Amino acid sequence: MHTKKWLQTTLAVVMASALLIVGCSNGNSGEKDSASGGKNSEVSKEPVTFDYFAFGTNRDTMASDTTIGKILQEQTGVDWKMEFVVGDASTKSGVMIAGGDYPDVISPVGELAKFLDAGALIPLNDLIEKYGPNIKRVYGDYMNKITNEDGNIYILPFTANVNGYLSPPDPTSTFWMQRRVLKEFGYPQVKTLDQYFDLIEKYQAKYPSVDGKNTIGFVTFASTAGEFFTITNQPMHLAGYPNEGGVMVDMETHEAKLYQGTEDEKRWLAKLNEMNGKGLFDPESFTANKDQYLAKLTSGRVLGFASYSWQIPDATTNLRTAGNDDLRYVALPIVYEENIKDAYVDPPSFVNNRGLGISVSAKDPERIIKYWDNLLTDENQKLVQWGEEGVTYSKNADSRMVMTEKQLTDRNDNDFKHKYGFAYFDYEWPRYGDNSVYEDGNAHVPFNQPEVAAINYTEGDKALLKAYKLDTFSDLYAEPVERPWYPAWSIEKEPGSPEQLFSQRAGDLQQKFYPRMVLASPGEFEADWNEYMAEYNKLDAKGYEGFMTGKVKNRIDGKW
Amino acid sequence: MELGKGTVQVEKTAGQMAKSNAGASRFKTFFIELSKQKMLMLMSLPFLIWVFVFKYLPLWGWTIAFQKFKPARDFFDQKWVGWDNFKFLFQEQQFYRVLRNTLVMSSINLVFGFVTSIVLALLLNELRNIFFKRTVQTISYLPYFISWVVASNIVQTALAPEGIINVLLLKMQFIDHPVLWLGVGKYFWGILGATEVWKNVGWNTIIYLAAITSIDPSQYEAAEIDGASRLQRMFYITLPGIKPVIVLILIMNLGHILESGFEAQYLLGNGMNVDFSENLDIFVLKYGMQMNNFGLATAAGMFKTLVSFIFLITANNIAKRMGESRLY
Repeated sequence: MHTKKWLQTTLAVVMASALLIVGCSNGNSGEKDSASGGKNSEVSKEPVTFDYFAFGTNRDTMASDTTIGKILQEQTGVDWKMEFVVGDASTKSGVMIAGGDYPDVISPVGELAKFLDAGALIPLNDLIEKYGPNIKRVYGDYMNKITNEDGNIYILPFTANVNGYLSPPDPTSTFWMQRRVLKEFGYPQVKTLDQYFDLIEKYQAKYPSVDGKNTIGFVTFASTAGEFFTITNQPMHLAGYPNEGGVMVDMETHEAKLYQGTEDEKRWLAKLNEMNGKGLFDPESFTANKDQYLAKLTSGRVLGFASYSWQIPDATTNLRTAGNDDLRYVALPIVYEENIKDAYVDPPSFVNNRGLGISVSAKDPERIIKYWDNLLTDENQKLVQWGEEGVTYSKNADSRMVMTEKQLTDRNDNDFKHKYGFAYFDYEWPRYGDNSVYEDGNAHVPFNQPEVAAINYTEGDKALLKAYKLDTFSDLYAEPVERPWYPAWSIEKEPGSPEQLFSQRAGDLQQKFYPRMVLASPGEFEADWNEYMAEYNKLDAKGYEGFMTGKVKNRIDGKW
Repeated sequence: MELGKGTVQVEKTAGQMAKSNAGASRFKTFFIELSKQKMLMLMSLPFLIWVFVFKYLPLWGWTIAFQKFKPARDFFDQKWVGWDNFKFLFQEQQFYRVLRNTLVMSSINLVFGFVTSIVLALLLNELRNIFFKRTVQTISYLPYFISWVVASNIVQTALAPEGIINVLLLKMQFIDHPVLWLGVGKYFWGILGATEVWKNVGWNTIIYLAAITSIDPSQYEAAEIDGASRLQRMFYITLPGIKPVIVLILIMNLGHILESGFEAQYLLGNGMNVDFSENLDIFVLKYGMQMNNFGLATAAGMFKTLVSFIFLITANNIAKRMGESRLY
């Protein structure tokens, strides 16, 4: 009896201490791991795997599981465990920062300010100086733009164009119209917002339903806070400005002016309100989630919509694959007045707050920098965009890089892009900008190569181009004007600063009042607008504009 | 959590026993008692440590509420700002709106959740066909296991202008044109309440069903002999039988009155219903976490803890006065 009792006691003690020991030993082993991963930085091709984390959207993979990643691994011995954010980016970055445990390299996208604030990235200046001849070649012209205010370089951006500037042959605007509408009325010129909506109105009056389903006049995507800009950015474009975020920068005085709370914004909302009154605006714009929105666009019932092309690749690709050109859309350079010059084609620009950085937890920064430097040779840049000659691209008699139809289909195919690695290596790495040209004169991005763009057109595309007497869709748009500060949206606002608070509050107001104003009965619009302005005027817009103007002027003076 | 609470209670009883012995021998009796129960003590030790590590140590983080917190800085390098974060919180107009939404939504959830799950438990208990009962139970708690992301997608699709709800109502001629359910702010609370019930009712019945099985069957037999109808048996035997459990769960849930959930509101919310859907958690996410303002987030967390504390203690005391079962 007695012995049994002691046995029990011992058991209890063992259990208690086991719990503690497990807790402690876990911590210890973690430390050991990171210590042993320390300095072994001879120039070696010894196999090593680093962690890569990006705040863009993609699927997780091992770099060596892709063809491109494998080739780069053979050159350097380096493999990458690539992970991408799932769910809310700010939450993920917050957790990373709070834990202080980072992957080797991070592409913070919209979370850059937070990571810098937390001191999560290491300065790259010395590393570039020592190990990065190619990095210096590519980023040399942009040194002042990639250098932070404290004199350090923390990230290598994705938009450093080399050897000149090649405009994309097929830019898009934010206003899309279904092709059957244009066809119905004999391909008329559509330039102003009024013309755009008139055409939709006329078409819907003629065809209120197709295949038993009602046609939808106009829809946009304004249900989630994260992409509410889809509806709020339009006044800026309609007034003839490129996407600068919340402000329009005057070409003469370089003053950054908010367009929220101005006549430009009111005009846009009043037009939507009018369309809603006529039953041409789909109120589900404010409630549908992204899946529902994309499904609607793919259904072919929508006559016109507003979105950036990069928000809707799934819908446009699916419509293209479906093959009915009448149901596809074409983007038009819509502005408020005939005499306004559109600015849908981005001017040469450098986005300095999107890039890849090395974290303070990185095991071997030298090796990483060498990998990046190797990635930035002309050969390897061709590899990540074009692939291998004879496999994913060919050369014609003039030794221009071209693609056969099969190769082009592959290059457009989502699964192939992932398997081959284009989807993982053609962005979110140190790279040539999209508008770059190689030494031999070929375009860096295949779709910017005129020979490739030409065979990329479908029959419907060609018919449309012919009807409007265009060579490429870029002929629809005005030539971009040089804006040395562009884009103003990449001006980082410090976390917790008055400017950031203003953006949040002003954005909250838009989210609350836009649906009310657009869906109001026409008689109430004015009252709602006044209420909105009363709320808006409580915020410090002047302070925000002052901050932005200052930053824009700094950029013009070369201080990025 | 449950286990942790259990241990605290064991401690208490031991303490009370010791206390009941008067005077100088108090210590002695305490130790005698302690050595008698050393088995229990040792067994509860790991859980005490667990509670301390996970529930008390993190309270250190409350200091963040008084700082302009920067993650990279040392504790001693942080900038101390006094009550600034609390001032910002309580002076913010939106705060009172989100507080109202939070309270209303969690009250709706509480009331709806209680009534439906108790009723369902009572009904299930009356079922005699075991196969049918199991089927109903399984179906009713299936939605509990799907994530809110999926659930809210189902709700959004069902409530779309061409979704099943509108189609049904149109066919039955209750409405003559589709209603944008998620676009009308004042419908939001109802939609959320219904969604919560749909998702959680099955799961919540489990505990009541378990409580019902502990009721002495002889009571039912006696009632039956006395000629009580089925309804009367439900009202006079089953309900009073599970009353202690109901009160206990009510007290615990009152402690969570400021937790009206997050995912559902975040995923179903949009600009048109923001006045009704935005709750405290979303506000904290927007103005705290997303803006790297951890101080504000912590201050809001402290406020929530304080309110929970008050509710919990008040409810417990009321239960105590009324002679009902209670937490402590």
